Amino acid sequence: MSEFELLRNITIGQYLPTGSYLHRLVCLLGACAAIVRLGRIPLSYALRGLIPAIPFLVILAVLQLLLFGRNFDPASPVIFQWGWVVVTAAVGRVVLISAARFVELLIVTSVFTLSTRITELTHGIESLLGLFRRLRVPAHELALVVAIAVRFVPTIALQAERLLKAQASRGGGLGHTRWNFVATTRRLLPVLVPLFIFALKRGEELIVAMEARAYMGGEGRTAYRIFQATPADWVAPLAALAFLIAMLRAPFPF
Amino acid sequence: MEEVRQKGLSTRGIVTSGVLGAIAIFLGASRLGFIPMPTGINATIMHVPAIIGGILEGPVVGGLIGMIFGIYSFAQATTPMFKDPIVAIVPRIFIGIVAAWAYAAARPAGEWWGIAIAAIVGTATNTVLVLWLGVVRHYLPAKVAVTVGLTHGIPEIIVAVIVSLAVLLFWKRVQTGQARARV
Repeated sequence: MSEFELLRNITIGQYLPTGSYLHRLVCLLGACAAIVRLGRIPLSYALRGLIPAIPFLVILAVLQLLLFGRNFDPASPVIFQWGWVVVTAAVGRVVLISAARFVELLIVTSVFTLSTRITELTHGIESLLGLFRRLRVPAHELALVVAIAVRFVPTIALQAERLLKAQASRGGGLGHTRWNFVATTRRLLPVLVPLFIFALKRGEELIVAMEARAYMGGEGRTAYRIFQATPADWVAPLAALAFLIAMLRAPFPF
Repeated sequence: MEEVRQKGLSTRGIVTSGVLGAIAIFLGASRLGFIPMPTGINATIMHVPAIIGGILEGPVVGGLIGMIFGIYSFAQATTPMFKDPIVAIVPRIFIGIVAAWAYAAARPAGEWWGIAIAAIVGTATNTVLVLWLGVVRHYLPAKVAVTVGLTHGIPEIIVAVIVSLAVLLFWKRVQTGQARARV
């Protein structure tokens, strides 16, 4: 039955309510804090998101290590030589730095989504874009678009599951034939077309519901919950800034 | 008395961008939006919601859906090329915008042609802009980009045309109350 479980193995976009300091920050500041510490998210859970990237990382590192040779910064000392394979200190440094940067980027983005509620994210987007209100950026509307998109993903996943099961019960499958992608696409249509129609219909219902409640866009709209940054919230971006400066100043170990 | 009107995006625009953006995210997250190809790489239909949104509600909605698709592909990326927001997000905004323009231009030739040409142009925008930015920002050599563009872009165009036509022609029938199930 696993082929019907469409939202397995997706760590991104899931929220883990562990109640750490990081979780309690309002999103905008949480983004900065994520760089500093891992919240209280189990390390294994955050690292699981890295698994798909491992083969790529290894291939990249090996290629860089083997092929750069002496051409890259010829002045640096050779630390390893075997046949035509020459590894200089400068190359070793490049390999380490590029792998570390990439892992860091992946972890930071998944820590951010794991520790930030969707509602907080929309509040964050709205207040960040609010800075550009003078330039007529529709901050509220953009935040609402993102909120609706994220909110509808599980609804659409459930509907897709139902459609796949309905197809399977009629004997229709999604068999993938690598050699004929047009046939594969046509076999997807009995699922895709109702899925789009379902989403558009739900959209129509939502439009009617919003307009019936006299929704008029962001201007002059008040909020049910108002977030105010406390001194504790400012610790995180300041710490991140301090960390950034320290990293820029620190020399590379070799 | 002066009438108070809603400024900026309409409610319809906001909601349509939201639900179609959700489909784009879902197609990526469930792997349903990847169609395996003889070359071993997968063609994607994740950009089709942006094309459909552009056709239904115009360039702004198309652009917004593209932006959601871009942000999602940036967050999900496992290769450095797509972990660069300039490659992952910026080109995707143009998919829906260009598709909406193409639809408006080709609509006089008939609904079918309007949708097909919007899907072709929208998909080509995605492929060309992403690969071009990949070359400009030194993730790809130009030769590789051209090869990928041809082996990958053309099937993606075919797939996008099939899906957009199926969805939109059916949606028009749903809206005019002519839809009947075919078994």
